[in-house]
Amino acid sequence: MPLRETNIVSGAQTKFGKLEGVTLREMFAEAVEKATIGSGIPLEDIQAAFIGTFIPEMLVHQGHTAPLLADYAGLRGLPATRHEAACASGATAIRAAIMAIESGMYDTVLVAAAEKMTSVSTNKATEALAAAADDEFESSMGLTFPGVFAIAAVAHMQEYGTTEEDMALVAVKAHHNAAKNPLAQFQKEITLEKAMTPRYIAWPLKLFDCSPISDGAAAIVLTNNERAKQYTDTPVKIIGTGQASASMNLCDRKNLTSFEASVRASRIAYEMAGLQPKDIDVAVVHDCFTIAEIIATEDLGFFKPGEGAKAVREGVTAMDGDMPINPMGGLKAVGHPVGATGVKQAVVIYRELIGEASANQVPKHDIGLMHNFGGTGATCVVNIMRRADA
Amino acid sequence: MSEKPTVEQYQKYIQDRDFHAIKCKSCGAVIAPPKGMCYSCGGRDLEWVKVSGNGKLVSFTVIHVAAEEFQDEAPYFVGIIDLEEGTRITARLLDLDPNDPSKVQLGMPMKLDYQTGKSGRVYLGFRPA
Repeated sequence: MPLRETNIVSGAQTKFGKLEGVTLREMFAEAVEKATIGSGIPLEDIQAAFIGTFIPEMLVHQGHTAPLLADYAGLRGLPATRHEAACASGATAIRAAIMAIESGMYDTVLVAAAEKMTSVSTNKATEALAAAADDEFESSMGLTFPGVFAIAAVAHMQEYGTTEEDMALVAVKAHHNAAKNPLAQFQKEITLEKAMTPRYIAWPLKLFDCSPISDGAAAIVLTNNERAKQYTDTPVKIIGTGQASASMNLCDRKNLTSFEASVRASRIAYEMAGLQPKDIDVAVVHDCFTIAEIIATEDLGFFKPGEGAKAVREGVTAMDGDMPINPMGGLKAVGHPVGATGVKQAVVIYRELIGEASANQVPKHDIGLMHNFGGTGATCVVNIMRRADA
Repeated sequence: MSEKPTVEQYQKYIQDRDFHAIKCKSCGAVIAPPKGMCYSCGGRDLEWVKVSGNGKLVSFTVIHVAAEEFQDEAPYFVGIIDLEEGTRITARLLDLDPNDPSKVQLGMPMKLDYQTGKSGRVYLGFRPA
């Protein structure tokens, strides 16, 4: 049965990128202000805050971030709780907020998320990210996060004939879309030749296959049906949500060419929404690496296993294609401030569905899907949204 | 070898270059790395077991940008090995050229070995059989 009461009535993000001189709390407050006061929603209407951050302990020496960030953003005294699921922190915060609204416990809540990653070295950030993999059995022998997805890429290449060029085409598409997005970290096109520059991070993944290290924050306001009309004429309903877990270790997975948690989370969300993959007009998927987008589009059922690369080659996933994927540029080119990404994905779908995605607007935009992945794919959240008047 | 397997002892066996996996006393499944219970039958009665060290390469990568602790060792291979006892483990791959990874064949037979990192830590490793 589709969810009934959860409406997104505003969504905003900061610019993503290396935000010099802007601290975690400041970027968080900026996103919150845009999504509340800046969207005509008084702060006094917010009854609770659901906050996503991944690993500020290692990146900015700060734990217990929820009350700190909420307080700085002016949400004084409210219940504020942090949700951590590595790169899926943002989406797990959204799910907690959905449950809070559907249960009737609150009328209006805020979901906001942020990560400040550029204040440490690349190696230190790599180490922090590796904490989202299994330290005891995999990270401790030097496996990195890009390495995890590289292992999946090698398996996918062997099984289905996917090539390094196919992956590079995902990067070219991401940069093409992000070039029109003023909030993106990389606002410029790249050629296929440039995307193929053999600067390996974890072979066969090269620099342009990887999402960057980024700072940024995003926020949405969720409210029930009665309140939604007060804030906007075009609420977007979250009608289905699914979450699943998988083994943290890659070695415990029988199949390396698909991410089991994506398959399970999406099937739960589709069933709840009463929809099928073909009903989705636009999707944002967790393209932390180019291969992750190819595999996600297969796991979500948009394409058959092994046919994700073909869809990229044929332009099916382009902004004006039949199944637009990451029309604003994805994690790859917009940036990936880890904890913030899931909420930013909801902001993208919200903007696309209400027709306010500017130069990144997809032509058909009634129903959208977001797919947020945590770590090695040990957590996956899929949310399906529909514009209330659609 | 009758004591209840622990993660600490599993790591110690690797540091001692004496790899042990875990066996489920109920169904006989061989498990590594350790789990709180048998992945096959859910059994909780587990014991240490020695393995042949023979396996096949499932997939791999070559790490170029590493965490600080490992950067001096880069580039290095990390791969997934399917042991003939039926469990998969993640390990360093040895005796292969990290600057020419396209020559490495998935499915190739591999043999258990070890590698000592610059910190003195021993990694589980596999070399072409």
